[in-house]
Amino acid sequence: MAIQLPSVASKEKNMTIAEFHQSKRTVKIWDRFYPYFSVSIPVLVIALFTIYPVLYAVRISFYRYLLTKPKDHPFIGFMNYKEVITSYYFRNSLINTAIYTMAVVIGVTLFGLIVALLLNSKVKTANALKIIILLPWAIPAVVGGLIWKWILNSDFGILNGILYSLGLIKDYIPFLANPNLAKISLIMAAIWKEGPLAAIFFLAGLQLIPSELYEAARIDGGSSWKIFRFITLPLLRPIMLIVVIYETLTAILVFDLIYVLTGGGPGDSTSLISWFAYAEIFKNLNLGHGVALAVIIALITLVLILIYLRIIRSEE
Amino acid sequence: MNKSKLLVKIITLLLVLGMITGCQPPAPASTESPAAAETQAPPAAAETQAPPPAATTPIELSFVTWSYGVETIADNIKKFQELYPNITIKHKDYSWLEYHDTMVAAFAADNAPDLLYGSDHWLQEWASAGWLEPLEDHCPSVKDYSSELAPYALEGMTYEGKVYGLSYYADTMDFVYNEKLLKDAGIDKAPETWDDVYTMSKTLKEKGLQYPIIMAWSQKEGAFPEAWTSMVFSQHEGPHALFDAELKPVFNQEGSAAYQVMDWLVKVYSEGLLDPASLTTAEIDQVKSMQAGQHAFTIFPQYNMAEVNKPGSGDYAGQFKIALMPGVSHSTVGYVRFYAMTPAVVKKGPEYIDAACKFLDYFGGKTDGEYKVVKRWAVENGLGFAQLPLFQDPDVIAAFSKWGDVPTIEQQAKLARAKEGLTTWYGTWDVFARAEIHKAILGEIPIMDALNNMANKWNELKGQ
Repeated sequence: MAIQLPSVASKEKNMTIAEFHQSKRTVKIWDRFYPYFSVSIPVLVIALFTIYPVLYAVRISFYRYLLTKPKDHPFIGFMNYKEVITSYYFRNSLINTAIYTMAVVIGVTLFGLIVALLLNSKVKTANALKIIILLPWAIPAVVGGLIWKWILNSDFGILNGILYSLGLIKDYIPFLANPNLAKISLIMAAIWKEGPLAAIFFLAGLQLIPSELYEAARIDGGSSWKIFRFITLPLLRPIMLIVVIYETLTAILVFDLIYVLTGGGPGDSTSLISWFAYAEIFKNLNLGHGVALAVIIALITLVLILIYLRIIRSEE
Repeated sequence: MNKSKLLVKIITLLLVLGMITGCQPPAPASTESPAAAETQAPPAAAETQAPPPAATTPIELSFVTWSYGVETIADNIKKFQELYPNITIKHKDYSWLEYHDTMVAAFAADNAPDLLYGSDHWLQEWASAGWLEPLEDHCPSVKDYSSELAPYALEGMTYEGKVYGLSYYADTMDFVYNEKLLKDAGIDKAPETWDDVYTMSKTLKEKGLQYPIIMAWSQKEGAFPEAWTSMVFSQHEGPHALFDAELKPVFNQEGSAAYQVMDWLVKVYSEGLLDPASLTTAEIDQVKSMQAGQHAFTIFPQYNMAEVNKPGSGDYAGQFKIALMPGVSHSTVGYVRFYAMTPAVVKKGPEYIDAACKFLDYFGGKTDGEYKVVKRWAVENGLGFAQLPLFQDPDVIAAFSKWGDVPTIEQQAKLARAKEGLTTWYGTWDVFARAEIHKAILGEIPIMDALNNMANKWNELKGQ
């Protein structure tokens, strides 16, 4: 016998108790699984495009994988890692990467800070400069590399032309053919490319500093240097950390600029670790070595990220 | 439910799933070569399942080249399509400097074109990986052409006894000098030895020429190892200048031809006779600075002679001469670039193979009994050729005479040899060797260290 349920929605008016409980159970099950369902879609996408490729790459790094031998991939354990790490070229590229990263991070931070301070001042052209200064960052790295290649050309480069016409040099300088000058050229091009972004970051940070602090400091007789040292710099620390983290990772992973500007040469003077990984895959056709290197690069960056995160947390 | 626990559960599950799938054996490599697959497919069954379409069925073939003479290529394609209206060629070109890496990426991603340019120094690498098809297995006419080819060119297109290409052009690496600059400095004859080049360069420098020698030895420049090998060949009598008959390196000995060449290079670099920019210079810039009269000596592929001596191309047009490669034997490198076919064509079926063979015949073979396209490249662009009968062609002789001394060209061609050590690992080794040569020239490492590194790398690659 059907029992009428009092004061329920009209839809449920004719429901039996059994149907009502069944419906409630369905809702409960749906409620229980809905979070899994909703989370699983983005996680599946991440798994497909991130986790799977990473694990697949890690898997390849344990096999002898020469592109010229597509049917022969014996398991060799950690041999790829051993061969790569013990090679002269790994040590050389690691040293080059360390030099490049340190120089670029310091250069970009200083450049960004100085430019931001200038833009934050009451210079009339500051607004226009804010847009212009971003241009190098907006230019693709490959185009930037080509621009610098032409600027530094040892036969008809504009830099040589200017230096020569000013009487500063007697002969044109082969900037990209000298190992040390090639390194410096690469670093300069990277600072030119990345500096504007850092400047915008710092500018945003500067504009967040309350002007009352500066006014109070001036009333107290603080000099410009002391204001910068004890007010601006400490309040810019979080921004500086972000810039340093971002630029460190960008510098370690740089590839396009080297590809266009120096091709790793002359010799192997500008062969950075990411270039070395590329060369192992596309020039030596050794996918196993290349992927092992990619894993090593990923681990290095992971360690750096963890260190930086720790520093940020301690700051907070 | 605790949300973080839920997330952890899901992520763990997906990680496990990812690991299971990620740890499958890498890249399901085909267990049979495309050629084998083709031979296994019974032709009769193929006919019954999908009868070959009529000759007028539209067929599209992709064709990839490096960026040289693109307009001529387009015109040749147009003429070919007029001859075979049912075949459409989709042409794409990449910079010569990026060509190898671009094609390797395409091959590895299973995105290879149907037809493409190949080179002798990549053939072994590409053919052993199954990225190219042996032409003689599919195109009957290929074997007929072989008897008319220069031996070094045929060798450069052959892998494991099978011909993989039809020659697009074949050329020699030539030593070139600017006769006017030499005359202005009081030098009235071409150098015959590397010592002559050194002495003359010193004189030219004293007379005000900043860097008398330039090379296009950017590490990306594919002709770099060919120029270096030419110097080594010229300084050595007979074969085995770099490797012995068992492919063991012989160049890493003091006094070897390679050592002498490196010693000479270090000397001319350190004394400011070789333009330091040589280490970052590509062929185009090399040609332009020679045309501008900035340098007196260089080594480049012979086809550039037509460009540098082209009337109106500069103050020194007509002044550039070929001398036999200085050295004891005057030998040089002869190399070949060729049209090749990939397994992609074979997979598409017999009608595509037939169309591809027609294309190859037209471009690298004969049409109406004549090497039409090869001859066109020779006459219009000054490209060398592997097809020996063309040396007797009056049009070719007339064209070559405009920019060069035909007897010297012929003599140098006769002294040309294929590169030594053309193996599956040659391409990898030659890229490695470029950086070592650079380091020795720059004085970063001693010559013997560079040569030993090159030998060790060779042995390492050989052992893989």
